[in-house]
Amino acid sequence: MVIRSLVSVVDDDESVRESLPDLLRELGFAVQAFSSAEEFLASDCIGQTRCLILDIAMPGMSGPDLQRELTRRRQAIPIVFITAHGDETVRPRLLEQGAVECLFKPFSDTALHDAVNAALRGS
Amino acid sequence: MDGRRSSGASSFRSDSLERTGMENELSDVVDALPGLVWTALPDGNIDFLNRGWWEYTGQSVAEAIGRGWQAAIHPNDLPELRACWRSMLASGGPGEMEARLRRFDGEYRWFVFRTNPLADVSGQIVKWYGISSDIEDQKRVEKASLERERRFDLILDGLPAHVHILTPVGKPEHVNRQYRDYVGATLEEQQRWETGHVFHPDDRPAALAAWWKSVETGQPYDFEGRRRRADGVYRWFNLRAFPLRDAEGRIVLWYSVHTDIEDRKRAEALLAGEKRLLEMVAGGHSISGILEVLCQLVESTASECHCSVVLVDPSGTRLEHGAAPSLPASFVTAIIGRPVSVDSGPCAMAVYRNERVIAADITSETRWAASAWCPMALAHGLQACWSTPISSTSGKVLGAFAIYYDEPRTPTPQHLALIDQITHIASIAIERAQSDAALRRSEAFLAETRRLSSTGGFSKRMATGEITWSEEVYRMFELDPAAPVTLEQILARIHPEDIPSFDEMLDRQQRGSDYEHEYRLLMPDRSVKYLHVVAHATRDQDGQLEYIAAVQDVTPRRRSEEALAKARAELARVARVSSLGAVTASIAHEVNQPLSGIITNASTCLRMLAADPPNVDGARETARRTIRDGNRASDVITRLRALFSKKHAAIEPMDLNEVAREVITLSRSELQRNRAILGRELADDLPLVTGDRVQLQQVILNLLLNAAEAMSGVDDRPRQLVIRTEREEDDRVRLTVQDAGVGFEPQDVERLFDAFYTTKSGGMGIGLSVSRSIIESHHGTLWATSNDGPGASFAFSIPWRPERVEGARNPGAVWMSAVTDAQHVRVP
Repeated sequence: MVIRSLVSVVDDDESVRESLPDLLRELGFAVQAFSSAEEFLASDCIGQTRCLILDIAMPGMSGPDLQRELTRRRQAIPIVFITAHGDETVRPRLLEQGAVECLFKPFSDTALHDAVNAALRGS
Repeated sequence: MDGRRSSGASSFRSDSLERTGMENELSDVVDALPGLVWTALPDGNIDFLNRGWWEYTGQSVAEAIGRGWQAAIHPNDLPELRACWRSMLASGGPGEMEARLRRFDGEYRWFVFRTNPLADVSGQIVKWYGISSDIEDQKRVEKASLERERRFDLILDGLPAHVHILTPVGKPEHVNRQYRDYVGATLEEQQRWETGHVFHPDDRPAALAAWWKSVETGQPYDFEGRRRRADGVYRWFNLRAFPLRDAEGRIVLWYSVHTDIEDRKRAEALLAGEKRLLEMVAGGHSISGILEVLCQLVESTASECHCSVVLVDPSGTRLEHGAAPSLPASFVTAIIGRPVSVDSGPCAMAVYRNERVIAADITSETRWAASAWCPMALAHGLQACWSTPISSTSGKVLGAFAIYYDEPRTPTPQHLALIDQITHIASIAIERAQSDAALRRSEAFLAETRRLSSTGGFSKRMATGEITWSEEVYRMFELDPAAPVTLEQILARIHPEDIPSFDEMLDRQQRGSDYEHEYRLLMPDRSVKYLHVVAHATRDQDGQLEYIAAVQDVTPRRRSEEALAKARAELARVARVSSLGAVTASIAHEVNQPLSGIITNASTCLRMLAADPPNVDGARETARRTIRDGNRASDVITRLRALFSKKHAAIEPMDLNEVAREVITLSRSELQRNRAILGRELADDLPLVTGDRVQLQQVILNLLLNAAEAMSGVDDRPRQLVIRTEREEDDRVRLTVQDAGVGFEPQDVERLFDAFYTTKSGGMGIGLSVSRSIIESHHGTLWATSNDGPGASFAFSIPWRPERVEGARNPGAVWMSAVTDAQHVRVP
């Protein structure tokens, strides 16, 4: 049996937490979805997660906040940011700070697959 | 012997002397001689008298013989006659004497007594022969001639002129006393002078040329020139000379009369000077120039003096410089700026007391010691000062005119007359200068005012249709000021749309009442000007109707009003646009979220269907979720559309004071136009309120404009408008707009808020009815109350919610809460 890499999804939007895991599973990954950064940090999935798909704007701790927290904990998980704010200026900044990719919602399945693959290759 | 002598009677009377025939014959001859004949012995005793003697004197021979004859001599003449006779006897030579001899009737007549001695061969005088002839008539003629001559001299000396009689070549022959006294020389001295000697060197050539011409042609001489007086002073004279001719027409002498015209010349010079001064005044010369000429005029009229004029400064407390052309600058400087008082000096005293101040001798002057004026004047060599106040026609003291002398002097009546004349002219000049200055100020002010307010004026005579424009109006119409104004020219400039109302105004003019009118000009370059006319109807002396009007170019005002209206219209849009700008990210986020779900679900669905075997249940589930997300996106769009269609409020926290200030800024010109005085009483401790900024602005604007309009007819009190904010006790904030307008009747209070209750013809307000519903949608109330004094107050109060404001720092988040929770605020 092929061991599927674990991709964790953190997004406060419920429809994303419903739809994105299904697509990722179709693409052949194991998926865990969390509604907030705090929930993810509290889980035991951090160590197994090979790729983190992270929403930028969330109530409470934001996506970049979580990224910093993981760096602080020396958890080098490749991160693909996703955001509904079509602000192009955030992308280069996030990539500079170590993100593998930043996808603007709505994004295609191909773009998602490429980003996750890139994340897994890097790890 | 001359024939006029009295010959006496022809009768002969013999005395006791014996006669021979020869003696008788001789005696007859002696008796016949025309005279009184006598002989005397060497000792002087008379021994013979002819018949003439006793016939004349009435003395008998016996009475007259010896010394008896002396009784017939006038007692006053006798001593001299006797002395003369004695000396003649002693000298032994012939002689002649005059004396009055009494006639038989007692009348004395003048006689000349001529005597010759007769000597014998040894030279011894043996006899004296004498004859006395009557010279009374001759004496009388001589005396009369002397008398005439004396009277002539008296007359000449009495003439108020210098009289001069000259030889045909101009040498003086006779001069009268005035002439002598004036030149200070006797006739003999004058005869040694060169011709023209007494003339002023400047006048001498012309005087001589005229004289020689007269001598040559015999034409009367007439010349005006200065002649030197004995003391060296030159005075002006009119010299006239007329020739006296003999029977052959030859000139035998010249009569010359010199008249002193110095006073006339001075009067003429003064008059000419005054004329020049008045011309300068009329010509608008500078006051300093006029006063300088005035001083110089007096200095040339009253010689050896220095003149000055000081003026009173506008405050009336200090002396200012007027003119002092011949006084030392240091003296003038010392006078200027002195306070108007009795202590500051003669001029300050003259001004202070409005009376003449004479300091005839400054060396002994005791006044003005406090200001040490006298030592200062003496240091400048001045020893006399006469200062006279210069008063305006209304009696206000304008300054002082002063004459200074280098030696003690007291004014003569002529001086005082001159001073009074000069101060009168100075008064005219100064008053004129002051009123000119005032006029210039006021003209400059008016011109500046016109320029600043772009105002012109015109007049129109209705009877003739004649129109007169001021320069400004020509500028407004951009027409040539040289050309006369015609109605056609005006109509050609009027904006076509305003022609009907302009025609209406022309009709109104015919009725002769005051009017106000506004119209536009369409200029050749297609630009538009707005003109505002205020016209006043008046009647001239003949009762003809005439309009006097002010025209103001109100284009900038109209433009700014237009701009303001535009700005008001923009307000709502701009406010909304800025709200939109702030929430664009939220909109994108909210739309992208369901879109992302749709695409992800659709992708999953396709993959599930493409799997082998197809995951149909999974595909169905993802398709279902796709539909759900699609609906969700649709809901977002619906709410956005509702926002764009202005059906929703943009809710945000705001400072009501700030909102009020924005509205005040926006409506300031409108309030000024209504001449409303706006007072602000904005509370410091006002909490933030939550609501639709644009809507609240519109409510406040509405209240302000209503208030201004309510006061538009108020002219008997200030149009006071107050906008006030305050914090109410029950977590509410209140805003009040209070006016001093016409107010409202208590029974009308609710009607005010009826949707269709409005008295407004225009404006941009939204009406009280709409205002009230906006406030109610903010969970507040809007109400009206009558003031204690004049006017009404409109107020609204809305709740403030600290917890909502705290959590709503991000306008986008608040907006989103409005979009996603549409029930929160429902605004009609």
